[in-house]
Formats: sequence, structure tokens, C-alpha cells
Amino acid sequence: MAIFGLWVINKAGGLIYQRNIGDGLPNLTSNEYLVLAGTLHGIHAITSRLSPTGSSSGAHVISGETFKMTILLTATGTKFVILTSPVEPTAESMLQKVYELYADAVMKNPFHTPEMPIRSEGFDTKITALLGTS
Amino acid sequence: MAYAQPHPRFSVLSSSSLPSTDHLSPASSSTRFSLPTAPSISTASTPKPGLRPNIYDRPLNRTRAADVSASAYAFLFSELVQYTHKRVAGINDLERRLNTLGYRVGTRVLELMSWRTESANKAPKREIRFLPALMSIHTHLWRAVFGKPADAIERSVENADEYMIIDNDPPITRAISVPRDMSQLSCSSFTAGIVEAVLDGLGFPARVTAHNTPTDQFPGRTTILIKLEQSVLDREEALKA
Amino acid sequence: MATTSKQYKAIGEDIWKGRTEKINAELFALTYGALVVQLIQDYEDYAEVNKQLEKMGYNIGTRLIEDFLARSSIGRCADFRETGEVVAKVGFKAFLNITPTVTHSSPPPPSPTRGSGQSNTAGSSFTLTLDENPLAEFVELPEEALEGGLWFSNVLCGVLRGALEMIQMQVQANFVSDVLRGDETTEIRVTLLKYLEEEVPVGDD
Repeated sequence: MAIFGLWVINKAGGLIYQRNIGDGLPNLTSNEYLVLAGTLHGIHAITSRLSPTGSSSGAHVISGETFKMTILLTATGTKFVILTSPVEPTAESMLQKVYELYADAVMKNPFHTPEMPIRSEGFDTKITALLGTS
Repeated sequence: MAYAQPHPRFSVLSSSSLPSTDHLSPASSSTRFSLPTAPSISTASTPKPGLRPNIYDRPLNRTRAADVSASAYAFLFSELVQYTHKRVAGINDLERRLNTLGYRVGTRVLELMSWRTESANKAPKREIRFLPALMSIHTHLWRAVFGKPADAIERSVENADEYMIIDNDPPITRAISVPRDMSQLSCSSFTAGIVEAVLDGLGFPARVTAHNTPTDQFPGRTTILIKLEQSVLDREEALKA
Repeated sequence: MATTSKQYKAIGEDIWKGRTEKINAELFALTYGALVVQLIQDYEDYAEVNKQLEKMGYNIGTRLIEDFLARSSIGRCADFRETGEVVAKVGFKAFLNITPTVTHSSPPPPSPTRGSGQSNTAGSSFTLTLDENPLAEFVELPEEALEGGLWFSNVLCGVLRGALEMIQMQVQANFVSDVLRGDETTEIRVTLLKYLEEEVPVGDD
């Protein structure tokens, strides 16, 4: 059970925050991360139209043999993605807490421009406290 | 910390606290009387000055213990900083304007506090010495405004006219992360303005500024620096005798 | 499925009591007042001040909605009537500790064949009646501001517009009356213009 990383993807599919937690994840280039986030955004949008019973909020978990990605899509269209070990029971509650930290340390910060990359020491510190050191 | 320009607070004071509207009047212009061009419903209301509730009939203590959410305040304060930031040239100017906004709050907070002390006390007394006044700011003003006392008071070792109020975690700037290229900026300049207004009102004119003095334990630790005017020091000296 | 107005009231109370950090209401009112005075000095025109306040509110609303969603965990509303209930009983309560009375009205049906009673069509509206207004505590408007047409609390209209736009509702919000201007009530009307299309991203290529 472990948390590997956190991404925040804006409404347009741009990666505005990416953090590796611990050293479980290989280091991809920032360009690779951007492509990954954009692709996930696109796939996610399509999955939201796949539902057999009407509207859906799209893919929620994408998992592999050694990891899983859990996605929280907010009503405003922002996506929080957490990368964890395949069995990580706290993934969803962590995402909810990340969303609250985002509301506090990002949205209330006058020096943050919505939809732009998050550069906030306060957010970094709080994420570290929540998810562990990097 | 040079104060070359006259501080704008005086004009602010006169325009905002007096019933006279001279300073408040928008320049004469044709749009002056027009209502916003939104939908017809907004014209439903024409002001009826005679019917306005009299503000003097409202119990002044009604809001003494009232709260709003800290989030609501954080968003308001954030917007106030963004608005101010857009209209200034540099950090000094931004801090000066935040101080001015805080000053407007401070004059009113002092009035409320004084009135409440007087009505609660059979023999209200006015502080004429600086240290007790400073203590009262540290404890009572902070509690009234921020819901907790400040964390420390210090006196400058080098400068006899300088005193400091320390807040380890100022509630109104908790959500703010200042970008690296502006690291000198303290949005607690707003609080410095509140303190400056209160000191002025109590008869201890001073220049008050805010400074980031973080520690590992308290990354938001802030020092409110009070630089007293010479007249205050002279009076303190005279009262000692 | 449908949450009743009473339940929303309980949710609002619950958030306010249990999950909300608080700050002194006087500091809030005085800070807002200082800001309005600043705008009056900067723009020297009350119509422009109204516009600016709305704009600032809009900016606040686009950010504040995230705080609201993160803390309330309320899902999508079924219709605009429900939105009105949530705004009044949960939103206003959680942020300002007041609960405005909400009055709903549907637009007159454009043609009888389309059926009526739908509160989801453009033109649906609700009116918020504020018995208390934490922004306007201590405020008495000078004659100048009255004649100039200042809507002192106009920031609220912007907040509503900004917050609802972020969750795909384009609305028009404006003050209908304000006790500060001598009216008997303080009322904001919020009218649905349209639901914004869910943005379907274009595939990256």
C-alpha cells in the first residue's frame, strides 16, 4: 500500500500540477507528463459518454498490475488523479482531501491564476503533509 | 522605510468617516446618475431616502460575537489583494495601499472597542502610556479582530522607537503564498494599517509596517513593526518624571 | 432522490456548525466597506463601481465554488429550482451564516404545447430575500451614493454568476431592492439564461 504521485488537470486537459511521492515512479520528462495528462483527459471525456444508463462522470479507476490511477472529476471540470499501489483503500478519501487543500491553498491565494500551473508553497507543504515526503 | 509622500490615509479618513460626501462624490459626469444597464427589473428600485432604516437605531453589539466563515473572508481578502495588485507599480506601493485599506478598518474597530469598553466599565480609563496601550492591542484588539491574542511583543534592541507585535499564524493571510519574485511582500500590511489607525486614534502616532519573519515551525510568522513618532517618545519621557 | 428544502437546511446548518472555520463578522463587514470606498475613489462613478463590484464578485465566485464543492459534497442539481434551494440554504449559510428566503418562479411557457411547470428552462428564476446582510452591517449610504445608484452589496451578484457559471449554468443576477436604498426588502434575482454545454474535449493530435 503506497501513494506514488498526484496530478491536477485543468478543464482544458492541461497538467497544472504534478508531484511524485517517494521514489516509486520513474521520472518522465515534463513533456511526457503533459502528453499523458492530455491523453487521459481525452479518454476520460469519451468514457463519460460510454455509460449504458445515461450520463456518467467517466472513468473512475484505471489500474495496472503494479499501480492504479484514481480520478476525481469535480463538478467544475477539474480532475485530480492519484497514483497508488493496486490496493490502496485510502485513494478516494485522499483525493477528497486534496480537493479541500486545493480549495484552501490554491483558490484562495490571490497570486494563483485559475487554470494556470500551481506554484504555491502553501499547497506543496500541505500536500507533503498529507501524502508524505517526496 | 522612507515616507517621502504624504500618507493617503488622511484623505481616506476624511472621506470615509465624515458624513460629508465631498470626497466621495464622483466627478460630475453624464453617467453619474445612471443605473447599470442591466435588465429592466433593476429600475424597479428608486432610492427612497426618507424610508431608509436609521442606522442609529441598530444595536451596536449585535455583531460583536457574530461570525462569517473564514473562507468567505479569505476570498474577499484575496480579491482585495488582486484588485490592489493590478493597480500598483511595485511591492512598496502594494503594501502602502493595503495599509490604507486596513487603516479604514482600524479607525472603526477602535471606535467599537472604545465604546464597548466604556459601556462595560463603570470607570473606563484611557491609556496614556504606550506600553499598556501596546499590550491592549496585542491582546484585546487581536482578540476582537482575529479571535485570538497575538503571540508576542518585542522591543527593538537597536532602536528605542521600535516595537514589534508577533503573530505566528495570521488568520487572514493563511491561504496566501507569495511568489518568489515578490518574497518581500507581506499582505499583513493590511493588519499593519489596522494597528496604525488604532495607535493614531489612541494618540500614539506611529508608522506601522508588516514583515515576513518565518520560522521552521511557523512558516507564516509575521512581525508588525511599530515605529513611534518622536513626540510619543518625548511624552513618555515626560510622564516618567 | 430529490433532496427536500428541509434537508438542505440541515446540510447547511451542519456545514456551518461542524465544518466551517469562522472569523469575526465585523472584520468582514469593515473590510468590504473599505474596499467599496476604495472603488468609489478609484472610479468616481457609481455605475462603474457597481460594475466593478460585480466583476470582483464574479472572480470570487469562480474560485469560491471549488471551496463549496470540496466541503459540501453536494452533487449536481436536478433543476434550477433545486439550485435556488442549495444556493440559499447551503451556500449562503456555509459562507455568510445567513439563509435568505428563496422564492421560485418559472417563465411563462412560450407555447402551450411545450408543457409548463418545468423549472429547467431558460427564464426560470429565483429571488433571494436577505433579512440580514453581513456586508452591509454599519452601512448607511450617503445621498451621493444613493443618487448615483450604488448597489452596495453588488459583489454578491457577481459571486452567484461566477459560481454557477463554473458548474455550467449561465445566469443573470441582480439586485431588485436594497434596504440601504430605502426599500422594504433586500432582494437579489437570479435568472437562468442557459445551461452551458458540457465541454467535450477535442482529441489531442
